[in-house]
Amino acid sequence: MSDSHEAASPRKARVLVADDDPDIRVLVGIAVRKSGLELVGTAVDGTEAWELVRELKPDLLVTDVSMPGLSGLELCSLVRDDDELSGTRVVMLSAAADEAAHIAGRDAGAVDYLIKPFSPRELAERLVELTQSSTARL
Amino acid sequence: MTLTTVVNRLATPNPSPLLKQAPTTVLFGIAVVLVAANPGSLTSFPSIVAATVAIVLATVLATVLTAMSPLAKFALLVPAIDLVAIGFLRFGTGEALSSFSALIILPIIWFAAEEGREHIWFAFIGTAIVLIFPSVAGLSDSSALSVLLRAAFSAAVFTIAAAVINELSRQAKLRLSSVRRLAEERKSALESNELRTNQLAESEASLRQAQRMFRGLWGAVTEQAVIGTDLTGMIDAWNPGAALMLRIGADQVEDKRHVDEFHLADELEDRARELNYPAGATVLNPGFSALVEEARLGSAEVREWTYRRADGTELPVELSVTPRLDDDGETVGYLFVAHDRTKAHEVAKLKDDFVGLISHELRTPLSSILGYLELMRDDDDDELTETQLQYLGVAERNANRLLVLIGDLLFTAQVESGKFNLEQHVQSMSPIVSAAVDSARPAAVRAGVTLVVEIIDGGMVRGDSVRLGQACDNLISNAIKFTPAGGTVTVSLHGEAHQIIVTVSDTGMGIPESEIDQLFSRFFRASTATRNAVPGVGLGLTITKAIVTAHGGEMGVGSEEGVGTKFSMTLPIEQPARVFSADLAQ
Repeated sequence: MSDSHEAASPRKARVLVADDDPDIRVLVGIAVRKSGLELVGTAVDGTEAWELVRELKPDLLVTDVSMPGLSGLELCSLVRDDDELSGTRVVMLSAAADEAAHIAGRDAGAVDYLIKPFSPRELAERLVELTQSSTARL
Repeated sequence: MTLTTVVNRLATPNPSPLLKQAPTTVLFGIAVVLVAANPGSLTSFPSIVAATVAIVLATVLATVLTAMSPLAKFALLVPAIDLVAIGFLRFGTGEALSSFSALIILPIIWFAAEEGREHIWFAFIGTAIVLIFPSVAGLSDSSALSVLLRAAFSAAVFTIAAAVINELSRQAKLRLSSVRRLAEERKSALESNELRTNQLAESEASLRQAQRMFRGLWGAVTEQAVIGTDLTGMIDAWNPGAALMLRIGADQVEDKRHVDEFHLADELEDRARELNYPAGATVLNPGFSALVEEARLGSAEVREWTYRRADGTELPVELSVTPRLDDDGETVGYLFVAHDRTKAHEVAKLKDDFVGLISHELRTPLSSILGYLELMRDDDDDELTETQLQYLGVAERNANRLLVLIGDLLFTAQVESGKFNLEQHVQSMSPIVSAAVDSARPAAVRAGVTLVVEIIDGGMVRGDSVRLGQACDNLISNAIKFTPAGGTVTVSLHGEAHQIIVTVSDTGMGIPESEIDQLFSRFFRASTATRNAVPGVGLGLTITKAIVTAHGGEMGVGSEEGVGTKFSMTLPIEQPARVFSADLAQ
């Protein structure tokens, strides 16, 4: 994996999307494709998302906060605490607009936190920015 | 009428002139009859006639005076005429030898019995005239000296008798008036005694009624625990509400247990620490001191505590603690009134959960609506027509309106539950106001309202830029909504010595004066708003005021119906504009 990361050619960053709402999953998927990234999978709840994250080891996990099974926050903590997943960064989408929810997301290790409703255009831009900074850092 | 009756009547305090005259008239009649029966005693017939005329006159006068009591002051004329009559009778029946001289005593008694020493002199003068006048007038043949001597002597005797009678009468009257006064006093004492007895009965009745009322009230309060203690916290009053709430009867606690035994020791300890261990704290009972500290200092305190029931279970209560005072205003104990907050806590939690759920459940579909609308707008492969873009705009605008409403509801709920946090930074108000004005421009253009901006950078405030922006947005969008096309909305910002003032004034429909006080109440809508079908739910001003208040500021409003409205928000200044520097602006 690390070899492919270091490849000079612009390898498309791999993105996994987790949300229990099918329409949002599709919407986030469209934003991912518009940003020129690769959508490697979608999960309908936290448990499936965790399985897919471990299996696919994506560069970015875009997850809803409130989901059946594992919540987005729990998922984020698991990713952060798993050494094998140090290359996976988490972006949270939440319907909770308050400051406390935002802080909880940051504390759990999310690199970005977007409030629903979000603009797909803005999400795409943020994802591009994140992958670029990630590439630059790597 | 018997003699005794007459005497009794004469002895009454105020016998009538006729009654006083009666003995004289009767005895005079007897004298005349005796003279007629013994003509030898008659010395001058004209005198007897004159005497009779006089006595008749006196009797008639006495009758008239008796009938007309207002003329009573002339009553002494009667004995005066009697004296003249007796003078003539005496003269006509042998003068000094007359058998009827003794009659003179009757008018003299009349005079003498009148109040006042001067009447003694009347009696003396009358007697002297009757006895001396015939001799002096030359009517008598008797030797002047012997007549004068006898007359003078008799007059003196009669005068002394008159003086004695006058004095006796005076004393009798005094005694009578004293007896009367005593009788009056006794009567008034009896009356006042009766009055007091009645008053006492009334106050006893009202006391019994008050006691009944108190017992009724005391027993009826079953939803609140009312507990009374002495200064040490020993319970001496325990109402049925306390028995229900704490599940233990009054007989088991009164004079047996202290009120702080029903509190959590930790809470009392925390409170004592908070109060820095109040001065009144005792080693024996520091928890109780913490509980009553504010009441001990004279004020009533209401705060939440946890009660521990007799069975060990706990319940949250709102407890009001007040001092019990005696007649001199000294604190002699405390009163604790508690009501159960369990339900209120459950409701608050339900509400929080509900608000969270609603927020989530409404925002998620809105994410799809707004997200897909944006995708349609941004679709480069399939460009939309002008009309389609217009329709899309309407859909987006309304979805956003819904989003703002959800945000407002959520925010109101947060304000109410006290869970409303501000992310405070020192910053200038001008960019916040400018941004609010810019975002309001499209709406102003659509409404045909001119937006005038007058911004003078007034200095820095400490605050949450998002919330302050929301407050400005609310005021400006309100002003635009309430101003008919062609009107003007003016937004101004300026600083004063200690405050920054943002005002938003419009030339709109105004607010009736009677509704100004309710403007900031939740869900309140002015009648001008409902009449003119201005959209809204009545949360904007509530939220604006909550934001401004949370920043230590104040909201002001002035309005005239049909002329316009002016809202102002005044925020405390953190730093005047002069010292505004680059690093603070960041």
